[in-house]
Amino acid sequence: MQNTTRPAEVWPGAGSKAADPNPMDANLAICVRGLAKHYRSPWTLRVARGLEGLDLDVERGQVLGLLGPNGAGKTTTLKLLTGLLKPSRGNAWLLGVPIAEPKSRRALGFLPEQPYFYDYLTGVEYLELAGGLSGLPGIEAHERARHWLGRVGLGDRPRLLLRKYSKGMLQRLGLAAALVHDPQILILDEPMSGLDPYGRRDVRELILEQHARGVTVLFSSHILPDVESVADRVAILHRGRLVRAVEPRDLSAGAARRVIIRCEGAPILEIPPGWRGRVARRPGGSDSEFEVSGTLEINSVLDWLVRSGVKIRAVTPQGTGLEEIFLSATEEDAPRPQGGTPHGQGGPPRLAGTAPPGGAQPVGGAPGAPQGVARLEHGRKVA
Amino acid sequence: MIAVLVARNTFREATRDRVIAGVIGAGLVLLLATQVLSPLAMGEGERLTVDLGLSGISLLGILVTLLVGTSLVAKEIERRTIYNLLSRPIARPHYLLGKWIGMTATLWVVAGGLGLALWGLLLVRGYGHNALSLLQSVYLAGLELALVAALAVMFSALSTPVLSALYTLGAVLIGQWSDDLRAYSAKLPGALSPVLHAAANLVPNLPLFNMRTLAANGDTTTLLHLGLASAYALVYCACVLSLAAAAFESRDFK
Repeated sequence: MQNTTRPAEVWPGAGSKAADPNPMDANLAICVRGLAKHYRSPWTLRVARGLEGLDLDVERGQVLGLLGPNGAGKTTTLKLLTGLLKPSRGNAWLLGVPIAEPKSRRALGFLPEQPYFYDYLTGVEYLELAGGLSGLPGIEAHERARHWLGRVGLGDRPRLLLRKYSKGMLQRLGLAAALVHDPQILILDEPMSGLDPYGRRDVRELILEQHARGVTVLFSSHILPDVESVADRVAILHRGRLVRAVEPRDLSAGAARRVIIRCEGAPILEIPPGWRGRVARRPGGSDSEFEVSGTLEINSVLDWLVRSGVKIRAVTPQGTGLEEIFLSATEEDAPRPQGGTPHGQGGPPRLAGTAPPGGAQPVGGAPGAPQGVARLEHGRKVA
Repeated sequence: MIAVLVARNTFREATRDRVIAGVIGAGLVLLLATQVLSPLAMGEGERLTVDLGLSGISLLGILVTLLVGTSLVAKEIERRTIYNLLSRPIARPHYLLGKWIGMTATLWVVAGGLGLALWGLLLVRGYGHNALSLLQSVYLAGLELALVAALAVMFSALSTPVLSALYTLGAVLIGQWSDDLRAYSAKLPGALSPVLHAAANLVPNLPLFNMRTLAANGDTTTLLHLGLASAYALVYCACVLSLAAAAFESRDFK
């Protein structure tokens, strides 16, 4: 563990890509080292482990999605970084400032899961308060409050009390409060939960807009397509540990995806020998279904079927590459059907012989295994 | 600066609570009720009005503290609004300080408003009462309420709203009897005496802030008394808030 009291000039190589970067690295927005959170029951003295030795770096300007099943430690991680929980072990730095210091949160915007607000305040009053607490002077806080209220589509009723806001309006207000002081780091806990499709789209666009501005975004979500569409990097937590670090862009290039092609009737076709193992026929009621897996070009399979005179009813992707990775990384906890496959119920089983999808690197997954640092850099990962 | 922002928000929260309007209404009704009782006071109507009016200010202030102050922090934790504050660059002691300042400001507004109403009533009735003694009495009541608010913030930061209300009420009741406790400790045998005496010195010395009997007679108190009461309230509040801050600093918000 680095000594945080050492002066900044002692730390060499700001922006270096060393395997074990120091927390004062000017290139890092978020640096987490051995962060752990244990809860001890005051009555039974039993210890529950919320987070176990997390190492994680997020470079400035990155969007990192935090994935994991319920109880994996996502919210615990975010609350530790935002000062709502005190770490049992380890440390973390925001823009080089230890999280134990309140000033580490000066450039931080945070949206908690299911945010709650003061229902006796109006939208403008709440955003003024949020801006003021983040260091904005009075007049600027007022101007920014007005601006952001309009920006999230609530500007037409600035004097409406928050108790009269709908859930979607509150979520948008929460986002405005997180952004009102132009933070350099944005931490969002389940920002899309409970939102309708329009709300989810708005949140996605807002994240991408902040990303374009150079803001570092760390967010947790259960909605894999949203994570895949927004995040530069994805970290998968399981049982309080970081088990995978994934780059979604790698998924589209090399991930093992499965596609079901549903055809009319039961055509008599022989699958070309070169495709065996990657194209499989399976019963589909009165119709036929072909399951295409791996990196096989779907167009060539469709061409072959059309040329063979087959009428195609539907082409359905079966989960995303990220979903496959997520399920494989966390499957030990998934409920298993009796006599079923070892892949659990949470998603489709992988085809036999399918290699683990590309882009994923196991990082200290097994309990007791040495914890690597998931160094998330553009174009490469170092475990 | 941060504490002032928190204080302003706390003041806004408290003053927009219907409890405050209800308490001020009850205070005004109490003042009017003294005029119904005045004819029964055998020529002591002025004393009755001042005594009941000042007692009402203290009691209603403590009621506001119990109803609003004791849930100030606990309600924020329960409703998770505290996430929005403590995830900003705020030191937790500043947050508690802001809560206390906001609550104290609210109590001073209530006490000041009811004090003004009492003075107005005395003028209307043509009693020509000593305004300075009223002012001193309301000031001391304000100090007493500030001290009770500090206890309420401390208990609220460490417990649930119901329990913190009970703890605060208990502290107020014991504090009212702190003189009796000290007197009783002198009569105890052996080692019990210093123990009870020390305990009596730890509980808030609320009789120090009571000059209602003097004010009812139109008498004023000394500057020394006012200075001592102010210093005592300041030091006691600082100690209570420091204890609260130390315990609150390590608290997790799950």
